[in-house]
Amino acid sequence: MRTARFLLLPALCLGLLQPALAAKPGKPLSVVRVNVTCQTYDFVRPWTKKTPFTLRGLGAVLAGNRVLVTGEMVMDATYVELEKPQTGEKTAATVECVDYEANLALLKPSDARFLDETRPLSLTPATVGQRLAIWQLEATGDLAATDGLVTAIEVGRYPMDDTAFLLYRLSSPLQVRDSSYTLPIVREGRLAGLLMRQDSRTQTVEAVPQPIIEHFLKAAAAGPYRGFPSAGMTFSRTRDPQFRRYLGLNGNSKDKLTGGVYVATVLKGRPADRAGVKAGDVLLAIDGVAIDQDGNYNDPQYGRIALTHLISVRHADGDAAKLKLLRGASVIEVPVTLNHHRADDHVVPPYVADRAPRFQILGGLILLELSKPYLKEWGREWWKDAPLRLVCCDRFQTELFQDGRRRVIILSQILPSPLTIGYEDLRYQVVTKLNGVELKSFDDVTAAIKKPLNGFHKIELQDDPKEIYLDAAQAAAAEAPLMKLYGLPAISR
Amino acid sequence: MGRTVSNFLLVCVLAGAWPAAQANPIDDVRKSVVRISTTEQDPNWREPWSPGRVQRGRGAGFVIEGRRILTNAHVVSNARFIAIERENDPRKYPATVEHIAHDCDLAVLKVLDAAFFNNAVALGTGGIPDLESTVSVYGYPIGGDRMSVTRGVVSRIDFEAYSHTGVDSHLTIQIDAAINPGNSGGPVLQDGKVVGVAFQGYSGAVAQNVGYMIPTPVIRRFLKDIADGRYDRYMELLMTTFPMRNAAHRRALGLPDDDRGIVVSNVVAAGPSAGALQRGDVLLAIDGHPIASDGFVELEGERVEMGEVVERKFNGDKVRFAILRDRQPREVTVTLRADTLHRTLARAYDAPARYIVFAGLLFQPMNRDLIEAHSIEDVRVRYFFRSFIADELYRQHPEVVILSNILPDPINTYLGEFKSAILDEINGVKVRTLREAAEALAKPADDYVLKFIGKGRPAVLNRRAVGEARERIKTRYNVQREQNLGEEAAR
Repeated sequence: MRTARFLLLPALCLGLLQPALAAKPGKPLSVVRVNVTCQTYDFVRPWTKKTPFTLRGLGAVLAGNRVLVTGEMVMDATYVELEKPQTGEKTAATVECVDYEANLALLKPSDARFLDETRPLSLTPATVGQRLAIWQLEATGDLAATDGLVTAIEVGRYPMDDTAFLLYRLSSPLQVRDSSYTLPIVREGRLAGLLMRQDSRTQTVEAVPQPIIEHFLKAAAAGPYRGFPSAGMTFSRTRDPQFRRYLGLNGNSKDKLTGGVYVATVLKGRPADRAGVKAGDVLLAIDGVAIDQDGNYNDPQYGRIALTHLISVRHADGDAAKLKLLRGASVIEVPVTLNHHRADDHVVPPYVADRAPRFQILGGLILLELSKPYLKEWGREWWKDAPLRLVCCDRFQTELFQDGRRRVIILSQILPSPLTIGYEDLRYQVVTKLNGVELKSFDDVTAAIKKPLNGFHKIELQDDPKEIYLDAAQAAAAEAPLMKLYGLPAISR
Repeated sequence: MGRTVSNFLLVCVLAGAWPAAQANPIDDVRKSVVRISTTEQDPNWREPWSPGRVQRGRGAGFVIEGRRILTNAHVVSNARFIAIERENDPRKYPATVEHIAHDCDLAVLKVLDAAFFNNAVALGTGGIPDLESTVSVYGYPIGGDRMSVTRGVVSRIDFEAYSHTGVDSHLTIQIDAAINPGNSGGPVLQDGKVVGVAFQGYSGAVAQNVGYMIPTPVIRRFLKDIADGRYDRYMELLMTTFPMRNAAHRRALGLPDDDRGIVVSNVVAAGPSAGALQRGDVLLAIDGHPIASDGFVELEGERVEMGEVVERKFNGDKVRFAILRDRQPREVTVTLRADTLHRTLARAYDAPARYIVFAGLLFQPMNRDLIEAHSIEDVRVRYFFRSFIADELYRQHPEVVILSNILPDPINTYLGEFKSAILDEINGVKVRTLREAAEALAKPADDYVLKFIGKGRPAVLNRRAVGEARERIKTRYNVQREQNLGEEAAR
């Protein structure tokens, strides 16, 4: 009897809710709940995935039947689902476009009419001092807005390592419900940004701002998505008066060189290098906009902003930026054709998303491509705890690999079997050659395995013991038993 | 007590002959074991211009033949004053260090007052005790003032790291007797003979009843080395090897399935083996002792690591190898000499820290003390320390000069990014040692342009500004002396 009564209650509730919703047809919502199930690869055992987890957030509905969320939310997504706040009605969605560096993603519902009753948001910029509304949903599906004051607009760190873009910093007493990832931030009914980080202790919120969203949407509309462009160089400040004198940047010279940053490194093969920019040049201006001693420029909207904004956000992939440089005593103008540097273009990719990491098990030797996610398996202080040689490969990759190498291949571990007796303790080693072939990409591994030397696989390592051998016929014959013994779904990928 | 925490001191008496009729061995031990009190002053690695903190230490030692006292190097390292006491003698006798071997943590002391040795007994040395046999440990550990005795069994005989320098490993005997701070330098006895010197252990949280002693082969080698009045240190082959236990590996190198031979992985170009041995050589025998495929040889009936053969040798001695090179048998000979490369990295003792202060920038040569004193976690410095020898980094940087600290001043206020960086070049000239850095900085120039490894921009210091800042920095930070290029410390 009791169970029957409990079963009745939800039905009653629904009955009560429905009329309430119907009572405000004039206020269609501009948000949908987004539930994402993610599952990342285990980078140490790349033939398996880790336990799936779920992220929840609130997506902003945009024109064109799309929903905007942060990129972080859909990284390694296995299932994306949209849910109508008031009815709980759900539909699956696909990621139409994602930029993990700019931390933005566009979702498309599989049910084309799913967003029919919503009101798409248009974009609006914000300025320091404005009050914005951070939107959340009550359990009932009603909108709950929390006030947030824009305290700063600056170039700051984004979730992916070594990425920095413009962001809004807000001061807000926001209490995030059901661990929401993305939340829309709105001014006068228009989308000003997406929440990407929140610290309840300091009551600060960081948001992906309208200019980044706008750039992303524009690039997404332009066809195959190419990310935010860069020039491929690093800078040092020139505040030190002794350094300025040394560079000839005296404020009292006839050119009144009061600003400028020192070009510290120019990455080989990247746009600045191709355009002839040299380390040691002083960057004075970009597209006619003067750069100060700290590497900032004066933005009419935001004030002092880091120069990367001028390059990455004011330009699209393929555009040319005009760099004004001081080289020796002369000032030169160099047009630099910018491009986007993809994660997979790094020798040690900073992240590996939406693709399976490659591996090859050779007679029990686990061969992998080195990546930052692999190093991060060592936890929060991975740069201290992970094997130093591998950390150096990542940290110093632009110095180390100027020979056209595309990947670092490592012997990660060994699955012990009779074939590997004597090798059991070998791990975290950089593999330089296989069967005499220099390993510059993972495809080289696959190709080299087919060509054993005199019936042996010769594996050359950067560190001691420098080289080891496997019997090629035995290694091939061991594949099936190894798969069975260690439960491997495949011997390579 | 600083030094007695990680290392334990035991006092052993090494003497000539043990009198045949020993009524009660403990009486002789009492006449041999001494208590060593030291006042030490460790170098101040963080502010190397100031004399280090003065602290007291306590350990043990024992009388050996030739009216000497044997103890651990770490008991008397950096000692400013050493006082020795015996059981049943109220006097304190001042002592001095005659020889100190940091690489094997042993030292020999002299007591000036001949009266000290009246009635003293020098204990005899034994061999390597059997596993599971009982030994007694004598010393002055924490918990009381008088001599203490503990007892345990021999648990393991193995190569282990000697923590005193942080870079050395030698034969070690593990015992399960309680060894505590203050035991260091004391003798470990069996059947009335010294079988070791207690020297280190684990603190309780890591393991229990794990104490280590320096066995007699190491003690004898030390005493023999100093017989000519000078300590030449241990000899190293400076090469690495890999066991040949894998069947395919053996066949690929043309070796029969006879469990013999190891392969040379790497030969350090600056070491004594370079020229004689090369990568890929298979070592079959050392001085006529067959080398098993796990790298062990049989020595005096015991299976020990091949390195033990070299451990017992001295400067200028030769090591003969029977090898296979390109499948052809050969004989090669390596003439040993003292290794300096590992010494560069080792903890340094008995000399003030070396440094340069220039424009408030503190430059110091990299070693283990320095990295610990400044808690340097920089990836590049860690790499230089770890791969200094393997990657031949010593070629460009025989001494790795690190900008370890910055004394803030207007002249260096924009140079914070260079902290923990490795100095590479001054005014276009490569800097290979601290002394070269000092010479380059002493040369007149308008600007001093300092380049650091991996740093995009140089640090520029204007000569006039440096001159103006000089007295200011010296006074503010109490830098009594702007540099000490000193001599190499003992390691």
